[in-house]
Amino acid sequence: MLEALIFATILCGFFGIIFKQNLMMKIIAMDVMSTGVIAYYVMIASRQGVITPIVSEINHGPYADPVPQAVILTAIVIGFSIQALMLVGVMKLSRDNPTLESREIEKTYTP
Amino acid sequence: MNSLTITWITLPFFVGFVGYLLPKLDRYLALGMTLVSASYAVRALMEPAPLTLHLMDHFGVTLMVDAQSSYFILTNALVTAAVILYCWDTGKTAFFYTQTIILHGSVNAVFICADFISLYVALEVIGIAAFLLVSYPRTNRAIWVALRYLFISNTAMLFYLVGAILVYQANHSFAFAGLQGAPPEALALIFMGLLTKGGIFVSGLWLPLTHSESETPVSALLSGVVVKTGVFPLARMALMLDGVAPIITLFGLGTALFGVSYALFEQDTKRMLAQSTISQLGFILAAPAVGGFYALTHGLVKSALFLSAGTLPSRNLQELHQRPIQRSLWVVLVMASCSISGVPLWAGFASKALTLKTLLPWQMIVMNVATVGTIATFAKLIFLPHQQESSPARTIKPGFWIAILLLLGALLAANGFYLQAYTLANIGKALAKIGSGWLVYWVIVRRIVLKLPRVQEQLEHLIGGMSLMLVLLFWMVWA
Repeated sequence: MLEALIFATILCGFFGIIFKQNLMMKIIAMDVMSTGVIAYYVMIASRQGVITPIVSEINHGPYADPVPQAVILTAIVIGFSIQALMLVGVMKLSRDNPTLESREIEKTYTP
Repeated sequence: MNSLTITWITLPFFVGFVGYLLPKLDRYLALGMTLVSASYAVRALMEPAPLTLHLMDHFGVTLMVDAQSSYFILTNALVTAAVILYCWDTGKTAFFYTQTIILHGSVNAVFICADFISLYVALEVIGIAAFLLVSYPRTNRAIWVALRYLFISNTAMLFYLVGAILVYQANHSFAFAGLQGAPPEALALIFMGLLTKGGIFVSGLWLPLTHSESETPVSALLSGVVVKTGVFPLARMALMLDGVAPIITLFGLGTALFGVSYALFEQDTKRMLAQSTISQLGFILAAPAVGGFYALTHGLVKSALFLSAGTLPSRNLQELHQRPIQRSLWVVLVMASCSISGVPLWAGFASKALTLKTLLPWQMIVMNVATVGTIATFAKLIFLPHQQESSPARTIKPGFWIAILLLLGALLAANGFYLQAYTLANIGKALAKIGSGWLVYWVIVRRIVLKLPRVQEQLEHLIGGMSLMLVLLFWMVWA
């Protein structure tokens, strides 16, 4: 169930990138897609358990796998910086194309 | 060698930032870094056995340096050095050199990594650095082209990430070797990401616009080394795992024909070079075992071609036919075109012979067709009208000549890697192909003006194409 929902999120984002006309919305759709991917990593990490993996005397029971979480932290940071960079690009473009319609922009700037 | 590798891989990032803090030294630092990389590549080439490094535990970073990597690293070092020399007197800011050297470092990282997460990080850093380089002129068009590139590469990398976690789930490790036990969807997702990043087959349709609309030195960097970062992991996986190689070879053959059929009828020089890049990437993938040498010769010649195409008075081939070009520039174009066409004496000949040697007979036929197509494509540049420099109106920068000298000199020297290619049979075959290629040019290409549609290069179609590619890959892996 959870897995299906996560894949639905990824697909929603993916179709958003294709079908949304506004460049800003496309970027947000990409963010939705990456949220789905991050959620998938977290879900796989919690397959064996959900307890935070901290070494201690007492056994707290099955703990979550720390590796995918550590990895996805890197991906989150990268994804966030790419989003920021794209937003700056869009900001620059919006000066001459206030509607930010990707078709129009594409037509104008493709030789 | 272990600590040397780690120092060398971190050095470019350090050098990049130091260059930004001390703008007076930026060019010297950047050039010095490429020298370090080149010497590291030569050192690695002389190592008898591949070097494998496991940092941390089995889920940590895995690095692997083998002969294949050293060819790619050498390509990267030479092309970056040529680009820096070309830009020497153009007044580029320290920002440009910082980005160039960070790009250089992350491309190097791709060429030695052997696990999916390091590869992901390196590819994303490449994406960001390439974005900043493409958008360096700060014009609206440059920003749009860069934005489009980042959109496509980031979406592809999201699919790749899903594939990477599936590999981890299957065997609790991100190493390339883990792909063997992974489910087919993992393979399909990862390959889709890499095919898009590397500009292969239909996934490479984003490449002509990005490479042709960038500034000349950036195009040379992108076409010379950056696209190879998608190809290299695919080639490495094809060699490491069984069952993967046939798929990769099939993609290689398809790409070689696909790219060349576009390039044949293109009238814009820079677009033609970019489309020929797609086709040449196919040659690298068709024979992954010897792909390193092919990547070296292609990287050198393609950056030389891009640098000289940027110096031509016009980008339109029709216009160039009307107006003779400078003879000195024409000589450079002919030499580079000869190498990419596989004329003996140039390393392009040796690498083509080596690639063809490893193929099956039916694959060889496909590759020979693609080779003849390439020769016909570059005949367009060879048979351009030219004349002695009459007016001193257009003077070519000295940086251009130094860069070209480096690239073409390296192309001649690279023959040394495979001197066995120079047999009578090989030379005869190459000359026959060149003859037929030029015949195709004079009989067909020169007379027909075909304008191929560019609808498929729109952003939405490119992204939508990814889902089709995913289905195709899934089906191929499943079968």
